Amino acid sequence: MDADFASSPVSVLATLQRPPAGVWRQAWHRFRRNRAGMIGLVLVTLVVLTAIIGPFVAPYDPNDNAAMLRGASNAAPSARNWLGTDRNGYDVLSRTIYGAPTALAVGLGAMLIASLIGVLVGGVAGYVGGFTDEALMRGAEFFMVVPVFVVILAVVRLFGIIVVGTPLERIPNFNLMTIILLLGLFSWPQIARMTRAEFLRLRHAEFVEAARCIGTTPREILFRHILPNALPPLIVLVALGIGGAILAEAMVSFLGFGDPKSISWGQILFFNYQSLKVAPWACLAPGTAIFVTVLGFNLLADGLTDAFNPRVRA
Amino acid sequence: MRSIPVSAPDPSPAKAGQPGPLLAVEGLKVHFHTRDGVVRAVDGVDFQVGTGQTLGIVGESGSGKTVASLTLLRLAPPPARIVAGRVVFEGENLLLQPDKRLAEIRGRRMAMIFQNPATSLNPILSVGQQLTEILRWHTGVSRQAALDRAAELLTLVGISDPAARLRQYPHELSGGMKQRVGIARALLCEPALLLADEPTTALDVTIQAQILDLLADLRQRLSMSMVLVTHDMGVVARMADRITVMYAGRVCETADADTIFNAPQHPYTRALLESVPRIDHSYSGARRVLPSIAGRPPDLLHAPPGCRFHDRCPEAAPECRRTMPREHLVAPGHSVSCLRRGSPGEETP
Amino acid sequence: MTALLEVRGLRKHYRAVRRGLRRLFARQQTGTVRAVDDVSFVLQAGQTLGLVGESGCGKTTTARSILDLVRADAGEVRLDGQDVRPVLAGTDRAAMLAVRRRMQYVFQDPYLSLNPRWTINEALREPLRVHAPQHQRDWGDRIATLLERVGLEPRNGVRYPHEFSGGQRQRVGIARALAVEPDVVLLDEPVSSLDISVRSQILNLLAALQDQLSVAYLYISHDLSSVRFISTHVAVMYLGRIVEIGAVDEIFARPRHHYTAALISAIPVPSPGAVDQRVHLRGEVPSAMNRPAGCPFHPRCAAALPICREQVPVLQPMGPNTQAACHNPA
Repeated sequence: MDADFASSPVSVLATLQRPPAGVWRQAWHRFRRNRAGMIGLVLVTLVVLTAIIGPFVAPYDPNDNAAMLRGASNAAPSARNWLGTDRNGYDVLSRTIYGAPTALAVGLGAMLIASLIGVLVGGVAGYVGGFTDEALMRGAEFFMVVPVFVVILAVVRLFGIIVVGTPLERIPNFNLMTIILLLGLFSWPQIARMTRAEFLRLRHAEFVEAARCIGTTPREILFRHILPNALPPLIVLVALGIGGAILAEAMVSFLGFGDPKSISWGQILFFNYQSLKVAPWACLAPGTAIFVTVLGFNLLADGLTDAFNPRVRA
Repeated sequence: MRSIPVSAPDPSPAKAGQPGPLLAVEGLKVHFHTRDGVVRAVDGVDFQVGTGQTLGIVGESGSGKTVASLTLLRLAPPPARIVAGRVVFEGENLLLQPDKRLAEIRGRRMAMIFQNPATSLNPILSVGQQLTEILRWHTGVSRQAALDRAAELLTLVGISDPAARLRQYPHELSGGMKQRVGIARALLCEPALLLADEPTTALDVTIQAQILDLLADLRQRLSMSMVLVTHDMGVVARMADRITVMYAGRVCETADADTIFNAPQHPYTRALLESVPRIDHSYSGARRVLPSIAGRPPDLLHAPPGCRFHDRCPEAAPECRRTMPREHLVAPGHSVSCLRRGSPGEETP
Repeated sequence: MTALLEVRGLRKHYRAVRRGLRRLFARQQTGTVRAVDDVSFVLQAGQTLGLVGESGCGKTTTARSILDLVRADAGEVRLDGQDVRPVLAGTDRAAMLAVRRRMQYVFQDPYLSLNPRWTINEALREPLRVHAPQHQRDWGDRIATLLERVGLEPRNGVRYPHEFSGGQRQRVGIARALAVEPDVVLLDEPVSSLDISVRSQILNLLAALQDQLSVAYLYISHDLSSVRFISTHVAVMYLGRIVEIGAVDEIFARPRHHYTAALISAIPVPSPGAVDQRVHLRGEVPSAMNRPAGCPFHPRCAAALPICREQVPVLQPMGPNTQAACHNPA
């Protein structure tokens, strides 16, 4: 490194705010130093690993309720059932493990839908502006004021009645997919608003104008300049949303509106909360799982916020 | 190790009877402790301001001029740490005073005008509220008396219809008007010393001229001392009696304004003066080349040993790389810190 | 002789109206901001026109309108006699690129005008990708040459903008503008965000590049000293209009418009005790929304006549190479 290229600018304040090398790399550097974020990352990794390899190592089939036939439901943790059995005779550990892929499917699925709609709507609103912007944003506000839970409960119940006797009934986890779809449909406005704000900011950013001066096509400007720069705050929002969606599904299931054919933590709670005094382990395990997962995603989002914020000192 | 204090004779003979300078800064060191290391933002700085005198502190960004001026009121933001030195103002060392005493001095004996008038006023308080708050806090006068005084000051800084202005909020005022309010606020308690950090940098040139006129006039009428921090050679030429040139946290040269502009000694001062294009000079015909300083100011995290200017200095000698020059007098009232001008040096590791 | 760049009657007005649904709720506050009002000038190859004025005078909007970054309401921008505004706004991409290649822009803040996620090489590749896609093999060499030309070492091209100092970033901004070998470069306050000791380096670089490449500059600045250094001609703007235009030395030696005189004399000269013969200006620049009738400068002008209040003065020849819009020139 030659003398003219000392690694940091001279101004004291600039030194303090100096971002280290590379933008994504720089975010990672900051993230690594963020304790909460790293804990979040560890927790999320744990959940993801459980979801991937869990089914191969789970001691029982999740639908194996042979214990009930032996009269061993609500059995305390033992060498045979490490976390005990629940009131239906299922092995709590196995069912909790099998709940992980469901939870992730809900979180990722809902946020995938929400991101697709949100980025599209917000992007169009921010990029086109004018009346389109106005109309789309009023539409987004409509989705924000609708009480999500009431709609989900109503629609799930309604579908439950409608699909009986139709081919739809044979689709596995149809109810769960409905819930995912609805959660996605009601989570996109925040993403749309953030996308719009970022697009508005970036549309008139000087480097975008510079690209226009050069004659770069609008398409390239959109995909090479605007989108990559709009991404960081959206990633934070999505991470937060995944936790939120998982929690929402757990609540819906706990209220008994979940998918009886799928294994979800909320559902385990719903089946077992009445025997809380007899078999607390049957509630504690899925409860802890929900807690850890949601906490993980929230801490991860927290860490990402700081990591992407250039004002946080490296 | 303390630099030898340089005595600055008061240029105005009328004030010759004064016992000492109003403000004396000696051996001031302010360091920023960052994750990457220690930034020596101000590294052994001395200057004096006599009563009724205006001292211009000139330097580029990163020269330490702003940090030094903020430190006078212990306002430098963390992680700034005052490592060494004294700030003697009206006989007391401000760096040793308790916070309570300092709060009494701030605004009352020593007041500050900020660079950006848009952000130095509180947007949710009316002009009247901002002005009277300070006055009542410092002097405990009645609300009405404070309002009268505020109106009087607005008139003093050239704002017409002060009664109406007192009811307005900052966003209703133009940039120049806001800076006038900022000046009025600084003058409320008739401070002995006014600190102005780039008071006109955020303003348009014609407004800058008005504000400079105002400051020059006020200084005269209130016989106030002033420390004017700026990067603009033109502004100090117009305003300052004495000038201190700073570079990379150290003082290069201190002298009367005339001397700095007409007989500068330090190579940096010379280069700085030459590198600014002049509005009163025609550049057509000849080859257009400004004498410019190569390179850029050093990174204070890894300040070069020896003289901090040596790697950009046209006159640098081998000794300049090893030895840090100390200020010494080359003429009465003119001190320079350069080995090539006979400054004593101290070895640096 | 056709001028390299000729701007004729350029106009951009902003209407301050509330849009959309808010119109129903808010009290209507309409007005017209005449950001650029009938601006005309000529720029020849190898010359530099300094466009000066205080903030809000419309100098930046003028430059942006020329490149269609802001769509002007009226006027012509002629490049070698051809009006390029319809081309820039039109759909013929090849024609548009041909014009864009010839006119480039250097932004005030090089940090904002470089994509933070791209290395310098990537930033310099963009103009080449757009304008010379078929010569992909030469890009590396061209980028290296460009970086050398602006005084940067080619090996630093792999770095990101934030790893550079302000002066170096501005060098990159200049290199990017020069990548397509333009005939006209619009420089929007290229040195005002830089340290003083670095400013002279960049000004020297700009002057040297102009001598080598005989490119024409439109140099926009509020800093009259740098305008005096870099420009051959100068145009002074006030409230969206050019009030004085001409050869730089003539205007600085003998400004005819009172605003120009005030502007020049407001610059503090770096010599203490310089004879203070300043033209003192009253008040501040009025909002461009309520531009005074007649000569827009008359409320602040010490030499205003009754006619100044009624009739807008037009540019008239004042000297061999200057024009000013004033009823009572100095």
